[in-house]
Amino acid sequence: MSAPAKTSAVPATAGERRGSRRRKGIAGNALWFWIFVGPFVIGLLIFSYLPIIWSLVLSFFEAYNTATPSKFVGLHNYVDMLTDHNFLSSLGTFTIFAVFIVPLTFVLALALALLVNQVKIARAFFRSVFFLPTACSYVVASLIWKLSIFNGVRFGLANTVLGWFGIENIAWLSTVDPPWYWIPLVTVRLWLQLGFYMILFIAGLQRISPTLYEAAYVDGAKPGWQVFRYITLPQLRATSVAVLILNLIAAYQAFDEFYNLVGNVNYARPPLVYLYGISLGSIQDLGHGSAGALILAVIIMLVTLLQNRIFGFGKAGD
Amino acid sequence: MPAHVPNAGLTRRDLLKRTGGLAALAAFTAACGGNTGRPSSGGGGGGTKVNLSQWYHQYGETGTQQAALKYAKAYTDANVAVQWTPGDYGAKLSSGLLSSKGPDVFESQFNIGMVKSNQVVALDDIIADVKDDFLPGDLATNTIDGKIYGIRMIIDPQVIYYRKSMLDKAGIKPPETVDDLIAASKELTTNKVKGMFVGNDGGNGMGGPALWSSGGSYLTEDNKPGFTGDRAAKAFGKLHELYASKSILLGAPTDWWDPTAINQGLVAMQWIGMWAVPGMQKVLGDDIGVIPFPKLDAEGKPAVYSGGWTQFVSAKSANVDAAKKFVKWLWIDKSEYQEDWSLNYGFHIPPRKSLAAKASKLQSGVAADTVKLNEDYGHTDNPAWTPKMGTAFTDLLTNCIKKGADPAAEIAKAEKTVNAELSRLFG
Amino acid sequence: MAVSERTTGTPQPIGFSRSTWGRVGLVLRWIALFVAVVLFLIPFYLILRNALSTEQDITAPDWTLFPSHLQWSNISELFNDTTVPMARAMYNSAVVAILGTAGQLLLASMAGYGLARIPYRHADKVFYAIVATLMIPGAVTFIPSFIVVSSLGWVSSLRGLIIPTLFSGFAAFLFRQYFLGFPKELEEAARVDGAGYFGVFWRIVVPNSLPFFAALAAITFIGNWNSFLWPLVIGQDSSSWTIQVAMSTFITAQTINIHELFMAVAVSILPLVLIFAFLQRYLIQGVTQSGIKD
Repeated sequence: MSAPAKTSAVPATAGERRGSRRRKGIAGNALWFWIFVGPFVIGLLIFSYLPIIWSLVLSFFEAYNTATPSKFVGLHNYVDMLTDHNFLSSLGTFTIFAVFIVPLTFVLALALALLVNQVKIARAFFRSVFFLPTACSYVVASLIWKLSIFNGVRFGLANTVLGWFGIENIAWLSTVDPPWYWIPLVTVRLWLQLGFYMILFIAGLQRISPTLYEAAYVDGAKPGWQVFRYITLPQLRATSVAVLILNLIAAYQAFDEFYNLVGNVNYARPPLVYLYGISLGSIQDLGHGSAGALILAVIIMLVTLLQNRIFGFGKAGD
Repeated sequence: MPAHVPNAGLTRRDLLKRTGGLAALAAFTAACGGNTGRPSSGGGGGGTKVNLSQWYHQYGETGTQQAALKYAKAYTDANVAVQWTPGDYGAKLSSGLLSSKGPDVFESQFNIGMVKSNQVVALDDIIADVKDDFLPGDLATNTIDGKIYGIRMIIDPQVIYYRKSMLDKAGIKPPETVDDLIAASKELTTNKVKGMFVGNDGGNGMGGPALWSSGGSYLTEDNKPGFTGDRAAKAFGKLHELYASKSILLGAPTDWWDPTAINQGLVAMQWIGMWAVPGMQKVLGDDIGVIPFPKLDAEGKPAVYSGGWTQFVSAKSANVDAAKKFVKWLWIDKSEYQEDWSLNYGFHIPPRKSLAAKASKLQSGVAADTVKLNEDYGHTDNPAWTPKMGTAFTDLLTNCIKKGADPAAEIAKAEKTVNAELSRLFG
Repeated sequence: MAVSERTTGTPQPIGFSRSTWGRVGLVLRWIALFVAVVLFLIPFYLILRNALSTEQDITAPDWTLFPSHLQWSNISELFNDTTVPMARAMYNSAVVAILGTAGQLLLASMAGYGLARIPYRHADKVFYAIVATLMIPGAVTFIPSFIVVSSLGWVSSLRGLIIPTLFSGFAAFLFRQYFLGFPKELEEAARVDGAGYFGVFWRIVVPNSLPFFAALAAITFIGNWNSFLWPLVIGQDSSSWTIQVAMSTFITAQTINIHELFMAVAVSILPLVLIFAFLQRYLIQGVTQSGIKD
């Protein structure tokens, strides 16, 4: 046993000793705490808190082409944004998008996880194939989708395939009626993110104890749907909730593929693209932009909380 | 304020994106201005040259970037760093002007917001001597409250070019009304060729010209919305009719400002600017004709969007005087460079009457026809038309053209936004 | 029947039987799997095909399955194209991804350790202040963040690209949770040897947590390499573009041929494909850990 570094010469009572060490320790601890945590907190103050506060301030001012405005307008910007049919319709666009993308991602990612999880050969290969798109950025995927798969002329892959069946070229990203543009927009996101959620589901599946299944068989549960419905799905509850929430937040913040595939068009414009356009595009209206961003933030927080309430996120920790 | 000419806030945005040629390397040396930016005493005293940064959008035509660099290098009174910007120049420029690393000198299109938020300085002193050499419209488009804020660099008429051979073969005369245009586009469509290319957005770029062809305008003389009323609604409806006729090319890899579609024989007609004439002539030779956007009907009048680019000096520049000196040198004094810029890459009309008069390349063939159309039917930008109004107008067009929405209802929506902007600007 | 089921092997989330219907189901599942594989691989096939084709091959009216002559010269064409700053963009992306990842892990791990292990009266408040930032979706604050960064004069600079992204409340949160579960005995042994917090952290905790660091590093690196909105806002000047911004710019600005653009795509995903090939284990851990919050 190595001797403690500092043994006090005068023996003291245990209580005294501990007390003095603790007092000294507290001062030292505070210092060490801030050495460890301080740099991070300072950065957070500058790059998270300051922007949020600044944004709050801007949202009460008329701020065209300036970040240091002088004309206070009260709640005017908020009223404008909440009555701005473009902003409202961009929120609507998001809702439509979420309605498509969230359940689709959920079901397909779970299906992939189940398929991969039950193959016995080359499982790593299959998993890698579905996971690999996660390596691609939205820009990369948009580029492939726009220039090679879903372009409107004869050398696009989708039109080539349709051509084999004698179907005329479709201008995928330009056609509003019927709204073909949703096909590229939805598929690009599915391709990019299914693998990610599949991994989450696989991890969830592997945490399910085999004894549960055995017990179910003993009890005479029919293999297939019944087992899935009464064993697998309930056991995946925590994973499912996480997937839903991550997915929904991600859908709210959609920007990259919309910006790159269709640009700032009013029929498929998620809130962030609209806000980008009015605050950092050629308009530079930072007052309305900030108000809109804060409204969006509040909506996202409310939806997240609501979802937590409904699904009881965190109840079944796994 | 002479608010006599309507403008195309929306085509401006598209114009910003028109491209096709070269990209950038230019590292630029930032002028060290504070965020609040104060006008400063010209060059820094003791013999050292000041640094200026000059921003361009990306011109599509080969050689333009080298030319811009050449001019900058030839200037001896300051070190001028050229920044060449592909992509969304409008967004890059406006956030650049917001930050402390923006340009000292830049090209753009003028609107009253730039003055209201103190982004640009008046240039009356450097233009005074040659003011009469500019066309009134090109001065008015850069004037607010009697002050001139920008020096027009080039004029870019936007019109419809067509393949003469294709129209002849189909026995069609160049369209004279919008209905003719729609009929021609349909007739020229085969299973290999579409009648017309108006942009992948379905023809938003022709919104302004369609409005003018009906007799309307973006804003009236006394700054009221000028795009309301039945005739404007009818014009927007016609654009939808064209879009819905299944005779226009959509989803092309290049957009309307690039001549690839007409050059490759994908279409018989294309909405595009005069800048593309050399590029089209190289491929198609003499097989090109030109028409303005046709009149809506017997009561209407053909229209040409007389777009272009203008040089400005940033009010945030730390060296406003040096920047003004440079602008005067390049865009007022050095006529050989102005000539080079207008004629040796793409074709643009030089805004100086003296230069336009001796521009021999623009005095024959389809270029001469385009210049004539621009003189007869050209409309320049109205500086009171702000980007926000432009966005509202674009939304109106998208809804009418692509969704087939009721023009009257869409007009009402856009009118609301435009009126709010007008009352913000003019009280 | 149930009994015979149990002998067929490991129980499965969806059990399947050896009956006729079970066999049909099995075949259907394999078909589904293969269809999915093909669909997922199509985009990669297109990247390779287009990157190695001539422009004529790509735009030809008839589909060429794969170029008969592989155009490896497209690589040199891309990097020798003086009008397209691709090499510079790759360099910027590499710097942003590497420094960004290292910085974020360093700051977040230290903060997480401090929060988990150093007793301090206000530690809870600090922790809540950090967690509160998780409530605000990052993408929503890009406008004010841009303003802050621009008043620091960091627009169009690597500083502006990297520094504001370093302070991830989520990473700090994950590290705290992880360090709470770190075996105390290891640390106490070092303590007894006279090491302070700093020594314990660097000599004991970090070396024993490398798999966790690797997992977060892999996922952070990918996020940084692929991030788009912030570099788009900050990179006004082409010398500060990342590879994502450069590619996005050239989708709309037709200054570059399709084959060159696809070569750029191929080059841009190469570093990540390598990570996938060699570090997939960590990556999967990273996904699992960052996906499930508690």
